[in-house]
Amino acid sequence: MADGEEVKEPETEAKQEAKTEADPNLINLRVKDGGGNEVQFRIKKSTQLKKLMDVYCQRMGAQPNTFRFIFDGNRVGETDTPEKLEMEQGDVIDALVFQQGGM
Amino acid sequence: MSGIAVGRLQQERKDWRQDHPHGFFAKPTVANGQTNVMRWECGIPGKANTIFEGGLYRLVIEFLDEYPSRPPRCRFTPPLFHPNVYPSGTVCLSILDAEKGWRPSITVKQILLGIQDLLDTPNLNDPANSSAYTLYT
Repeated sequence: MADGEEVKEPETEAKQEAKTEADPNLINLRVKDGGGNEVQFRIKKSTQLKKLMDVYCQRMGAQPNTFRFIFDGNRVGETDTPEKLEMEQGDVIDALVFQQGGM
Repeated sequence: MSGIAVGRLQQERKDWRQDHPHGFFAKPTVANGQTNVMRWECGIPGKANTIFEGGLYRLVIEFLDEYPSRPPRCRFTPPLFHPNVYPSGTVCLSILDAEKGWRPSITVKQILLGIQDLLDTPNLNDPANSSAYTLYT
């Protein structure tokens, strides 16, 4: 399922952008990992980013909370929204491997 | 003159938002609700497979009104113990020296990647911190 979706992405990208421009409540965001892979998302500016992070983990075939998401040097919280973080069109979020002290 | 610097830095920030090396960050500082585009705070991740791996090294970049004719000053906060970093935290690097390697076309991205590279490949011919230099050699 994920494969099918990803193949479609390049074709619809231009369309998506056109749509986003028409609707000021939507924003295109990109999530990049250390290997240079990139996944595009289009979400409402008021949507909690938990949704985006969960979908990303799912796409990568990983459990939720496998990654840490960093935007402009700060960890992205589950209840943060693009609005709250003042994100702009096409902004990039970095996905890093989750780590925990102790253990 | 400073109009050129501000314009260039706003463009640099725009480009950075669209594309930046993984794990790095660089953003103008905000003081009292006012964005100061002449002073940025940045983070450099340590390279994989070096002793710096896993760390995030913060630094402040201060741009002069003469930027980009003159290079900005890059300072680790807190100072980093390294042969080419002054005890104040200021980075000593050829591409950041107006007399040596600085060129106005060098971007913030190139500066930060250059400093990341410097972490693991110190230049012992031009030490800036004598105790770090002595310990290293």
